[in-house]
Amino acid sequence: MFSGWNWVAHCLYLLLNICSLEVSGGLVQSCGHIIPESPVLALGSNFTALCILNESCLDFGNIYANQIIWKIKNKVVPKEQYREINRTVSSVTFNDTSSLATPLTCNILADGQIEQNIYGITVTIGLPPEKPKNLSCIVHQVSKLTYPMTCTWNPGRHTFLDTHFRLKYRWPQENFPDCIPKDVNNSCTIADVQFFVNLEVWVEAANALGKAESDPLVIDPIEIVKPLSPHNLSVNSGILPTVLKLSWENRISVAVMKLKFNIRYRIIGDTNWMQVPPEDTASPRTSFSVQGLRPYTEYVFSIRCMKEDGVGYWSDWSEEKTGVTTEDKPSKGPAIWRIIDASCSPASWTVHLMWKALEPFEASGVILHYEVTVRAKSSLSSPPEKYNVNTTNLTLKLPNGTYEVTVIAHNRVGASPPSVLLIPASNTKAPVKNVRTLPKDGKLWVGWTAPNSYVLKYVIEWCLVSNSSDCTIEWQNEPGNIQGTYLKGDIKPFKCYLITVYPLYADGQGSGQSVKAYLQQDRPSKGPTVQTKKVGKAEAVLTWNHLTVDEQNGFIRSYTIFYKTIDGNETAVTVDPSKTEYTLSSLTSDTLYTVRMMAYTDEGGRSGPDFTFTTQKFGKGEIEAIVVPVCLAFLLIVLLGVLFCFNKRDLIKKHIWPIVPDPSKSNIAQWSPQVPAKHNFSSKDQMYPEGSFTDVSVVEIEADDKKSFSEQDLKPFDLLKKEKSTSEGHSSGIGGSSCMSSPRQSVSDSDEGETTQNTSSTVQYSTVVLNGYRDQTPVQVFSRSESTQPLLDSEERSEDHAGGSDSTTQRQQYFKQNGGQDETNTDRPCFERTKQITPANEGDLVGFAQLQISGQSSQLLGLGLEKNTQEAALLGVLQTSTEGQTVRPETVEGNPLSVDEMPKSYLPQTVRQGGYMPQ
Amino acid sequence: MAAADSSSAALRRRDLCSRGIRLAGKMRSDVIDLLDTYVERQGLDASASVAVVEGVPVAAVERWDEQTGTQRLLENLAAYRAFRALLAQMLEEQREQLGEADAALGRALAAVLLQVSAFAYHLEELLRLESRGPPSEEGAGPPPPSHLGLFERKLWGLGVLRELAQWAVRSARDLRQLTKPSPGSSLAPSPAESP
Repeated sequence: MFSGWNWVAHCLYLLLNICSLEVSGGLVQSCGHIIPESPVLALGSNFTALCILNESCLDFGNIYANQIIWKIKNKVVPKEQYREINRTVSSVTFNDTSSLATPLTCNILADGQIEQNIYGITVTIGLPPEKPKNLSCIVHQVSKLTYPMTCTWNPGRHTFLDTHFRLKYRWPQENFPDCIPKDVNNSCTIADVQFFVNLEVWVEAANALGKAESDPLVIDPIEIVKPLSPHNLSVNSGILPTVLKLSWENRISVAVMKLKFNIRYRIIGDTNWMQVPPEDTASPRTSFSVQGLRPYTEYVFSIRCMKEDGVGYWSDWSEEKTGVTTEDKPSKGPAIWRIIDASCSPASWTVHLMWKALEPFEASGVILHYEVTVRAKSSLSSPPEKYNVNTTNLTLKLPNGTYEVTVIAHNRVGASPPSVLLIPASNTKAPVKNVRTLPKDGKLWVGWTAPNSYVLKYVIEWCLVSNSSDCTIEWQNEPGNIQGTYLKGDIKPFKCYLITVYPLYADGQGSGQSVKAYLQQDRPSKGPTVQTKKVGKAEAVLTWNHLTVDEQNGFIRSYTIFYKTIDGNETAVTVDPSKTEYTLSSLTSDTLYTVRMMAYTDEGGRSGPDFTFTTQKFGKGEIEAIVVPVCLAFLLIVLLGVLFCFNKRDLIKKHIWPIVPDPSKSNIAQWSPQVPAKHNFSSKDQMYPEGSFTDVSVVEIEADDKKSFSEQDLKPFDLLKKEKSTSEGHSSGIGGSSCMSSPRQSVSDSDEGETTQNTSSTVQYSTVVLNGYRDQTPVQVFSRSESTQPLLDSEERSEDHAGGSDSTTQRQQYFKQNGGQDETNTDRPCFERTKQITPANEGDLVGFAQLQISGQSSQLLGLGLEKNTQEAALLGVLQTSTEGQTVRPETVEGNPLSVDEMPKSYLPQTVRQGGYMPQ
Repeated sequence: MAAADSSSAALRRRDLCSRGIRLAGKMRSDVIDLLDTYVERQGLDASASVAVVEGVPVAAVERWDEQTGTQRLLENLAAYRAFRALLAQMLEEQREQLGEADAALGRALAAVLLQVSAFAYHLEELLRLESRGPPSEEGAGPPPPSHLGLFERKLWGLGVLRELAQWAVRSARDLRQLTKPSPGSSLAPSPAESP
């Protein structure tokens, strides 16, 4: 019970204690405090703090030193570092302050349970200042009377504390106020210093942990002055063209400092400075004459100064001022060269004289004009020609010969020394050897081996080689004692230059030696376009054109041909760059190849477009080797066939050329044409009594035995049969058959011969009894033969021939009538059918004709199929030839019928009745 | 050892003389510039003649070339101590009259005052080298001419500066004279220095 009250009272006491501290701010004392209060500690040192409890707290709160707990921030300090000095004092010791942190608090455990804070301190840890080092000072002159001195030093390590630096200075007998740096810790500027008295300067650094001073610097400030540079510099040209006089003002009094100077100068536009020898300007002065300058040249000058004895610092360079030297005579004559054009006339030259404008340092002024003198060496008596020229070239037309050309440049002051050039009749002197080039430092160097003779000078000519522009010659002179130079011009990379070196002698010039060169090479801008010139079975001849010089971008060192099949590996072949043709060999026949070509310079290559070609299937002569034997074999077979046919002609004739029955022996011969109505045959048997025509049966056999012909040959017969069968119900008499047999006549009347042939070849024979035969009066009566035996072509033709022109008229009438009857029924189908048939008929006819004249020449066979105009003659031939054959003479002679003599009207045929009706 | 000390003392003397001469020259140059500024700022005429100024040592002396070195140093030291006090008084008066409005004149006066003080130090050092320490300063120098009116005080200041310029010339000559070899002196002749 008591202890419980005691505990409550203790808590209340502590609470009041804390509240009273917060409210009254110290009116009520806390239970303890720490010594030292907020210390500043050196990093790495040891530190001991004491926490001292108030006596008042001991009795009431039962608080003793052994209950004290030390904390850094919220971390309890190990109790090993504690020491209870007495019942009210506890200490804590840190061997290394680097383990310390803020705050360090002293706490107690009230009744061993509640932790209460008694006191806390802030610990600051840092380093004492280091001794400032490397103190140095400089006096900058800022005006004529103001010389502030700036001193700098190395402040040393960072101290982690607020460290103050002071620059201290004094005379032996007088102290001055310290210079306190602003915003920095390593420099300070003293506003004004006095010279000729030694000044002792040092730096003091101080913080909470200590103070350090630099070593003192004892110096007379006059020895560390950086004066202001001279000003108001002016440049005046002197009497001499090589002298300029400089004047300036010094901004430091001679009483303070005697000065020496540096003067530098350069030609305007040039970046390199030249300097007047320092010993010439080592004494105080305010002017100086610079000598050895180029006439009529603008110079830039600048000057600086320092203490005469060299102790101290140089001033900055003054502002730059320019001056121009006066003019002088040109120091040398212009370099001269020529281009001789001898193409106009054989007796004279056109000489283009060219000379270089003098460089400014050579011209020494403004060149007003050039004086050109041309003197013929051969005729010394003739006065020299003189020309005053304002330009740098002159074109003259001179007779062939040797001339001495002199050029003199004039300016306001005078004339230059003359430049002389000999124009020789021929370049017979020794040339230079081994002309070579080398790109170097972005320029093109040309070298050569000098000839043995003494060379006055060299002329190097060059021009850009291009397809798009002419070779514009540029040139330069070089002295005779050198063997190489850089081209002085705008040499472009990737362009080809033709460079020629001429040696000039005292009495003439040597011939030029040329070389081509590139300042810089590149890959070609395109590759060669390759194509085939000839493609064989296993080889292909490729051709290409050289790249133009503009496309080359360098020296073409080689070509490489790449070729491959579609699925094959690429093969490369390197080709000499001089060639434009190459033969690829060992190719696969009948294969598609892709070929491309690369041109290489020293810098690489570029490929041209792809080109494809296919090798041939057969090699040269292979086709001929196959075709010729085949043709010969064919011809041999044909010949053998012909011979065979000739030998077997009787058998063939028997099979395909049956004996045509003699119409004169037909029973129709007994039929009187005057009484056609009496001939009302009812059947074939009546018309052709059995036994009267033995050969008729042959035709019928033919029809059955048509397999002996080709199917095509037999087609017309089939068609004719079909037509015949179909016309039985529709057409009547010869009109229907005429339509079939002579289709062309329905289109044109001009093909009478063919019509006749067709008719003769397809229409059943009609037995026509002509009255006019054997001087009988012709009667217009027809009688239809039931025979299917085709008419012989020769027979029909002989009839056509015999018919003359009248027959044509008659046939025209006949077809008109025929057309009129069948116009709507049969004309069109007939025509269409006939179109298909006609070739067969013709072929058929050929076949017949051949068979007819078997044993004759093929020429004659061909002629037998000629047009009407030739038919007459042909007929004769056929007849003649036929007579010589085995054809029965009576067949020919006994066939007096002529188509031309066919009657002008006909009787419609009723097939079933087998007779003819008069029209 | 004694020879080394003597040599060192000789070098020190020569150095002090040399720099003293240049300081005198610089002082003269600055005083001339200050005179122009002073005349301008005080509204005086540059041609105004100032008679003998009370309390200002006079640079002119009879039989100058007959003076000994020590005598020259003592006279110079006395004069510059006097000028140091006079210039300090002028600086104070200038600050009272013009305040900070004319800082340039004040800075120029302060600079000249420093040079005067430095030159006095040179003289004292030379006297020490002469094995004769410098005399102690007698009080604070001449009393300020409080009885003078403002214009007269300006003229008095003009007189002080003019006399200081004269003294600068004389001091340079005195020091150059000291550098010349004299009987019984081991000093080597130093190169001629002009102020």
